[in-house]
Amino acid sequence: MIDEFGSAERRLVIRIVLLAGFLILFVRLFQLQYINAELYGKEAEENSIRNVPKVAIRGYVYDRKGKLLIDNRPSYTVMLTPVDFDKRQLPLLSTILSMTEESVLDRIKRGRKYNAFIPTRIKRDISFAELSMLEEHKDKLYGVEIQMESKRFYPTTARGSHLFGYAKEISDAQLEKQKSDYQPGDIIGSTGIEAKYEQFLRGVKGFEFISQNAKGQIIGNFDNGKHDIPPIDGLDLQLSIDGDVQALAESLMADKRGAVVAIDPRNGGIIALVSKPDYDLSLLSGTTPPDIWRALNNDEGIPLYNRATLTRYPPGSTFKMLLALTALDSKIIDENWTITCTGAYRYGNKVFKCEHVHGKVNVVDAIHRSCNVFFYQLMLKVGLDAWSDMGRKFGFGSQTKVDITEENSGLMPDRNYYDRVHGKGKWTQGYLISLGIGQGEVGVTPLQMANYAALLANKGKFYQPHAVNSIINKRTKQVERVPVDLRQISLSDKSWELVREGMRRVVMEAGGTGRAAFVPGIEVAGKTGTAQNPHGKSHAWFMGFAPFEDPKIAICVMIENVGYGGAFAAPLAGLCMEEYLYGEIIRYGKQPVPPIPNPPDEESVATNGR
Amino acid sequence: MNSFFKEYFDWTIFLCILVLAASGLLSIYSATYDAYEGRDFFRQLLWFGVGFISMITMLLLPLRWLQRNALRIFFASLSLLVLVLVAGKRVYGSQSWLGFGGLGIQPSEFVKISTMLALASFLSRSDVKATDLKDLVKTSALVALPIGLIMLQPDFGTSLTFLAMFIPVLYWAGASKFLIIIIIAPAFVAAASIFGTTPFLIVLVLLGIGLYLLRQENPFFATLVFGVNVVIGFFVQIVYDKLPLYQQKRIATFLDPNNDPLGAGYNVIQAKVAIGSGGLWGKGFMRGTQTQLSFIPKQWTDFIFCVPGEEFGFLGGVVVLGVFAILLFHSVRLASIAKNRFGSLLAIGFTSLFAFHVFVNIGMSVGLMPVIGIPLPFLSYGGSSLVSYMMVAGLLMNVYANRKEY
Repeated sequence: MIDEFGSAERRLVIRIVLLAGFLILFVRLFQLQYINAELYGKEAEENSIRNVPKVAIRGYVYDRKGKLLIDNRPSYTVMLTPVDFDKRQLPLLSTILSMTEESVLDRIKRGRKYNAFIPTRIKRDISFAELSMLEEHKDKLYGVEIQMESKRFYPTTARGSHLFGYAKEISDAQLEKQKSDYQPGDIIGSTGIEAKYEQFLRGVKGFEFISQNAKGQIIGNFDNGKHDIPPIDGLDLQLSIDGDVQALAESLMADKRGAVVAIDPRNGGIIALVSKPDYDLSLLSGTTPPDIWRALNNDEGIPLYNRATLTRYPPGSTFKMLLALTALDSKIIDENWTITCTGAYRYGNKVFKCEHVHGKVNVVDAIHRSCNVFFYQLMLKVGLDAWSDMGRKFGFGSQTKVDITEENSGLMPDRNYYDRVHGKGKWTQGYLISLGIGQGEVGVTPLQMANYAALLANKGKFYQPHAVNSIINKRTKQVERVPVDLRQISLSDKSWELVREGMRRVVMEAGGTGRAAFVPGIEVAGKTGTAQNPHGKSHAWFMGFAPFEDPKIAICVMIENVGYGGAFAAPLAGLCMEEYLYGEIIRYGKQPVPPIPNPPDEESVATNGR
Repeated sequence: MNSFFKEYFDWTIFLCILVLAASGLLSIYSATYDAYEGRDFFRQLLWFGVGFISMITMLLLPLRWLQRNALRIFFASLSLLVLVLVAGKRVYGSQSWLGFGGLGIQPSEFVKISTMLALASFLSRSDVKATDLKDLVKTSALVALPIGLIMLQPDFGTSLTFLAMFIPVLYWAGASKFLIIIIIAPAFVAAASIFGTTPFLIVLVLLGIGLYLLRQENPFFATLVFGVNVVIGFFVQIVYDKLPLYQQKRIATFLDPNNDPLGAGYNVIQAKVAIGSGGLWGKGFMRGTQTQLSFIPKQWTDFIFCVPGEEFGFLGGVVVLGVFAILLFHSVRLASIAKNRFGSLLAIGFTSLFAFHVFVNIGMSVGLMPVIGIPLPFLSYGGSSLVSYMMVAGLLMNVYANRKEY
């Protein structure tokens, strides 16, 4: 066969193909730029399309009774498209918005860095006066638009600062991590439920197509908005929270530092979660003025700190049931085992005190009257290993995996811990004695304690505590329950019965330390605690549940540095349980609920657990 | 000295490159000045410097040495592609970048050159015939390797450029026209069948005529090929109809962006408006309202042609097209006069590469071609592509300098 490498015919074909390509492009250019130039020129003048992102409305949040807790209200946001804006008008714009020129410029620059052709937010939630000023100077402020957006609004008296959390403008650090999903100026849930359920609450952004002329002025919606992609609203949340109990607990705690956590022992749903001092969420939604932010951060009450889940305090006498259960379940003691309390217990050359001289007590009496000596001796009998194993079963020393917020795992000391801290073989039984009454190294969060109360109420059904029951799609009417982990702590019925009987007597029978936690007409069980700490007066604890036979609420109240748990924490717990079980406070009739007084400042409380 | 330069230095290519690169730099300056205050312009200028040095290097390398070592260079460059897949960065959804410090390079641009070197070196061997089936299989395997690796990134547009280079090179090397038709026909038939019945019938008639004229090579086989293509056409039609609506829409939009004015077609329509509104004489340097206001989001990369089109109008567009035409026709002539087959094949391969980029890229900007993200040589913003095309220019100048050597 003849060699056709680069033959004349092949040269010709390649040249024809090239020529054809260039001719087609030439003719097309001629068509576009000469024949149809006028048409396109006009189009360039009049009909350039720009797409403007439209923010979705964040999901609404309801309480267990269907009451709206987190609402949205319209607000006006100033948007600016960086390429369109005439920089000479910067002083005018910053004066109208009462911002510094630098901060406006900074926002423009940040938007420009992301995309100079998409409007970026300059100021959220402007006042009516600012709005009308902007309208007045509209002709000078090319590229400045007003956009209707929504902001969070809290319609009830429940503040829920730490529970609900706030959604604020995305920070640079957050933006860097999630560049594909967010733009500068977007709102993102930052704490509490708003943060943990961000992906459900935020919804899906939409786009509006807008026609502009060559100067960038808006002519109107492109093609009558036929191509607009509407935003999809965020999903709603149904909480296990009872808004009324939450509000009541907040008001009772108003002048105190501490936390209240209530849990439904039948399913682990959180009924109320309060940490005080708190802050006004409406100040933090959207953009927070720097002075407010500074004030919150410098407040000595540390209002931003969630005491319900982040503190690590010794639980005091409320921890006695744990030791009693360990001893009873491993049959180290039974209900007939007694000791004689002489008001103190000597170990080596150290004396551990009791509040009273209780005489001969068994395990039920010891819980009922909170006898320390009984538990000092029991701790030595049970030993560290069995006790710390039981503590871990009840969730101490680890996070509860609650669905709403960050939490501290607390500290449940064990052999390894003592070996690490004191050195192997360098610690003695004497170190353990005070653990039996919830003092010493042991550290818990109020949430863990409420969960512990729930476990005592439902006899060991360990539900993952959670504040969100279900996620609701209002368009499809689909309701999806949030899955909850469940495990069982198996102890003998006898052990549960004895310990729970002790707790019942604490509130219901003469000589109990928690009588103040009563609820009219309902049997309540509980335990007080008064935890010594190096920061002043003792922390007051109360944990318990009601009704005794068929528990519907378990609660933990912790108040910092006020003294006796029975005097300060217990009455608050009683009122919260009453509100939950009756739907109102019946003990005062129609009278308002009087505040629970704080102790006078000079009173000094020197006591071991009670 | 003067005559030395005339004999060995290819002024035509050199000047064409300078004009094209200069219009690219001006366009980038104009399109990005407002938003980036010239940062991209200076970066591109730096790349031009790097490219210039690479071009001179390619011009001075001995052509025979390149021919002998082409396969080694080819496999070394393939290992870079593998590295990209393992350690590369993702840009616009495909993994085709290697980062060195602050700079990123796109190895696939350089693999185009090494693949062409390997192809030319292999096909120029005296024992290799483009008509021999075994040799054809080997050549195809050579091209299939980089295409496969690039499809893994995945970068569809770049893979296509390899085919666009490969088919003309085969043809130039003497492969039968029949074979070329067999290779390219199914693509045209498939695309036409999606467009509708009339385009499908037109392509079938053209294919029939072509096959009839070439039938003497093997009439039975020609009929078979025709039949297979008819089946392909119907098959594509059936599969297309069975696809979910959104996928149909995506394919239709790809083939004709005008179908979706706000999605994929948005850029194309804005590009057309930009070019069309330029008119005969343009709006003037840095006065293009469309490119300045940036209705075309990526106008300094793939849609760069809009800038001269809008700011210098028909005149600007024709100058750019004309310089490309001079460059390409000159390279075809170079392929014809080069005495050694290696150089000749290189010239035809690089001509095809440029031609494909120019036709597809400009065709996309004027709304004639699907939106395939490939750059316009010498004009588009991007270091790897500028440097690699200047290397290609250097190689073409090298072929010119050695055109009389056997």
